[in-house]
Amino acid sequence: MADSLIEKADIILDKAIFAAAEFQQFDQALTDRIVEAAYKAGLNARIRLAKMAVEETGIGIWEHKMWKNVIGTQLVYESIKNERTVGLISNDPVTGITEIAQPLGPIFAVTPVTNPTSTAMYKILICLKTRNPIIISAHRGAAKCTAEAARIMYEAALAAGAPEDCIQVIPAGSRDFTQMVMAHPKIALILATGGTGLVKAAYSSGNPAIGVGPGNVPVFIDETADIPFAVSSIISSKSFDNGTICASEQSIIVEEKIEQTVREEFEKQHCYFLTPEEIKKVEKIAVVQETMSMSPFIVGQSAAVIAQKAGITIPEGTKILLAKLDGVGKKYPLSHEVLAPILAFYAAKDHNAAINLCIDLNYLGGIGHSAGIYANDEKLIMEFSQLINAGRIVVNTPTSQGAVGGTFNLLTPSLTLGCGTGGKNITTENISARHLINIQRVCRRRLNHKFMDADHAKYFDESCDETVLFKEYHKNH
Amino acid sequence: MLTFEYNETGKILTCAFTGHLDTNVSAVMATEINDKIQSLKDSIDPAILVNGNIIFDMSGVNYIASSFIRICVSTGKQLPPGNFCIVNCDPFLKKTFKIAGLDDILNVK
Repeated sequence: MADSLIEKADIILDKAIFAAAEFQQFDQALTDRIVEAAYKAGLNARIRLAKMAVEETGIGIWEHKMWKNVIGTQLVYESIKNERTVGLISNDPVTGITEIAQPLGPIFAVTPVTNPTSTAMYKILICLKTRNPIIISAHRGAAKCTAEAARIMYEAALAAGAPEDCIQVIPAGSRDFTQMVMAHPKIALILATGGTGLVKAAYSSGNPAIGVGPGNVPVFIDETADIPFAVSSIISSKSFDNGTICASEQSIIVEEKIEQTVREEFEKQHCYFLTPEEIKKVEKIAVVQETMSMSPFIVGQSAAVIAQKAGITIPEGTKILLAKLDGVGKKYPLSHEVLAPILAFYAAKDHNAAINLCIDLNYLGGIGHSAGIYANDEKLIMEFSQLINAGRIVVNTPTSQGAVGGTFNLLTPSLTLGCGTGGKNITTENISARHLINIQRVCRRRLNHKFMDADHAKYFDESCDETVLFKEYHKNH
Repeated sequence: MLTFEYNETGKILTCAFTGHLDTNVSAVMATEINDKIQSLKDSIDPAILVNGNIIFDMSGVNYIASSFIRICVSTGKQLPPGNFCIVNCDPFLKKTFKIAGLDDILNVK
């Protein structure tokens, strides 16, 4: 059994490495034609793939998944189409440094159940743009739609001249096999988007990895904010695809003095505040008590479905369920990340207490991911941003769409959001094509005259301390 | 383009390639190579794949598709170790075989 799995992994990797060998011969023009063909095919299939994804996973809303597919194809394409990713990418005669882009090799891409087709298409585009073959491991709950998205783009890429096997999909289901391929010595990089376990497995594989895991996004509404605007924006984000984007708001934090106004605004805009008894019922079905992780049964479900599962009655047309909590951590399950239209709500006695709550929530499983602030006070925005550990601090903007980029701001459109070292990532950037190339630097001779003109004998003289050496280094310059 | 030359004394079949060996061209060449080996087996030396040698001469080749790499692998596998080699690769092709992890196995020179 194990031998046959090894053989199977070797076959997949041999195909990928042969594709890599062919791909590295391509120039920028051919590479760009392939990317364009794949993007067009993916964009043209946006509606069918969105419907397939919802039908197969039972998660989210197809119209919103359609928008995710647009982000994963059109917006990603527009952001990378003019990037130089092949051969000579820059030349600076002053510094004498010329940069050359080289592909990495086979990339193992893990895609999630929440954004399956959009993530697959985005990863395919950035891999094609950088001449890297991609091996996709789809979440088993979204295997068919992910494979279909890959097939559509592969056929278009192939017709445009892409190497055979430059896009492969491995069968879903076997965790052992996935980990075997992930750890295969011929894999150049793992691009993992998903849960904590998966990201940990990627980093433990021995291969380089960009693994992006969970968030727990706090959003602070300051008294200077335009409250109706803020509430409307939060609702549009948290209800987007039923809250399945990992950058979606998880907690709303306000000061007590504006609590009533914010509360009324949420209610006016068709959201429902759970009673303490109802919170207990929702907690039970939304969070697995032993691990404090979200229950897969409520991910991407509507407020109505969640209410039904919890056995509570809510007004018809409710968009989001809000749970007013007194604290953060294990005693308060809904203070953890839940990818569904459920929001924790906090009213702090003063400004400092509110920001302290944001920090607690930020460090509860979401370090390095994203955060949001609604305010019309630049000083406060900067103060908040320096206190929060997040790759993206989204200002007066829905966090789902804002963090993903490309629509509400000029962040690089991406479905894999770097979380920095807090999230065990090497970058806080939105992952794109530029992260999938090795940049070689051709360095021509340019003398450092300060160093060359210095009296080097002084460096061998024990009596010369750093003050003397500082002066020596800068002398006559 | 593909031309063959067979040295009966040394039992060496040289396959000389030129041009852009993309997927379509490679598919045609795979058939031509198999046919040539078969005809040599039938008419001259039935044991060519046991005690003969095959050389792929790459002078004049400026591009190879992954399907051509597969032809190299499948041809090399038919012969005893050391009886297959690829010669006259320019550095660009050498690097391609290196990336494919085949330069040693296929005896790329």
